[in-house]
Amino acid sequence: MIDDDSSVPDADAEPTPAELAHARRFAEVVDKTLLGRPPAAMSADDRALLEVATVIRAVHGNAELAAPARRSIVEDALRQAIGSASSSPSVVVPIARARARRWLPWSVAGATSLVAAAALAVLWLRPPAPVHEARLPDDQRSRSADALVGPIARERAGDASARIDEIFADRLDGFRARRLQGGKR
Amino acid sequence: MELELAEEQQLVEEAQQGNLDAMRPILERYATPLYSTVILPRLGDAATAEEVLRDTLATAVEKIRRFTWQGKTIYPWLRQIAINKVFDVHRQAKRSRRLADAMVHEVAVVSDPESHADAQLIADQERAAHRERIAGTMDQLGERYRLAIELRLVQELSREECARRLGVTIGTFDVLLFRAVRAFRKQFGEAQ
Repeated sequence: MIDDDSSVPDADAEPTPAELAHARRFAEVVDKTLLGRPPAAMSADDRALLEVATVIRAVHGNAELAAPARRSIVEDALRQAIGSASSSPSVVVPIARARARRWLPWSVAGATSLVAAAALAVLWLRPPAPVHEARLPDDQRSRSADALVGPIARERAGDASARIDEIFADRLDGFRARRLQGGKR
Repeated sequence: MELELAEEQQLVEEAQQGNLDAMRPILERYATPLYSTVILPRLGDAATAEEVLRDTLATAVEKIRRFTWQGKTIYPWLRQIAINKVFDVHRQAKRSRRLADAMVHEVAVVSDPESHADAQLIADQERAAHRERIAGTMDQLGERYRLAIELRLVQELSREECARRLGVTIGTFDVLLFRAVRAFRKQFGEAQ
């Protein structure tokens, strides 16, 4: 550390190697400062001396605030002040509003559940839609063969193949009629 | 003066009624004199000085409702806020800062309260007072030390040019400046 009470050597006194090194380091710090790029890190000794140099420069008008820096500082200050002014009232939230905020998620969840339950009930209680049967001619519908065969007498019990042929021919007529009308198989 | 007193009063009243953005032209105008004649000469550190300036302006905007218009510029009020902030910085600093402590002393300022130009007047007088104190200390230094400071820190000549004018090597000039600043620091602290 620089001792304020230590005497400063005469201008013509021979510098020690340590003083030479310190003087060179300080000269570089001043160089960078004059170029507007003061080193971020420096020893406490150099910082103390640089403060002296900066005071001398400032008093002689050599350390003015650049216009962009000025605008930025003004902007920051306004943002800081206006931000704190506008945010301060919302720091304390009224109890009623705080309670309302606490119940809000539960209210939304409850309402959503009620709507879902009502939709399910409506689906469950709704009567089934009526089934419309296709209107087809009798010869194309499933039907009993009684009209063709009728009661089978005992003496004709052995003619089963003839009866089957008759039923088959009847059903084949219906099938052909449907095919010729362009209907499906 | 870009900002007339009547205009300044109107902006202050607007800000006091809630339009804080009305303070912008006032802050723009007074940021530079606050920085260069009030804050930086009392701190000696540009980065800290910029922070103090920012705090000063923010505090001014926050407390503008407390300001009472007395027919003169708002600048002395801003200056007082800045000086208080500088004192805070010095109070918080742990190490000894004799020069800064010396510089932080109030510089007496007399200005015409009715003149709309008194902000500039205050800044000029303050700068002149600082210069006088610096010059008084410089006068107590040896001739070569005074020259080293004058050439490098006031005229801001390069090290090479400073060395050439003093007829020494650059290394020798570095030592001269180093010793000169140390001597100045010592003298300035003792002069207070």
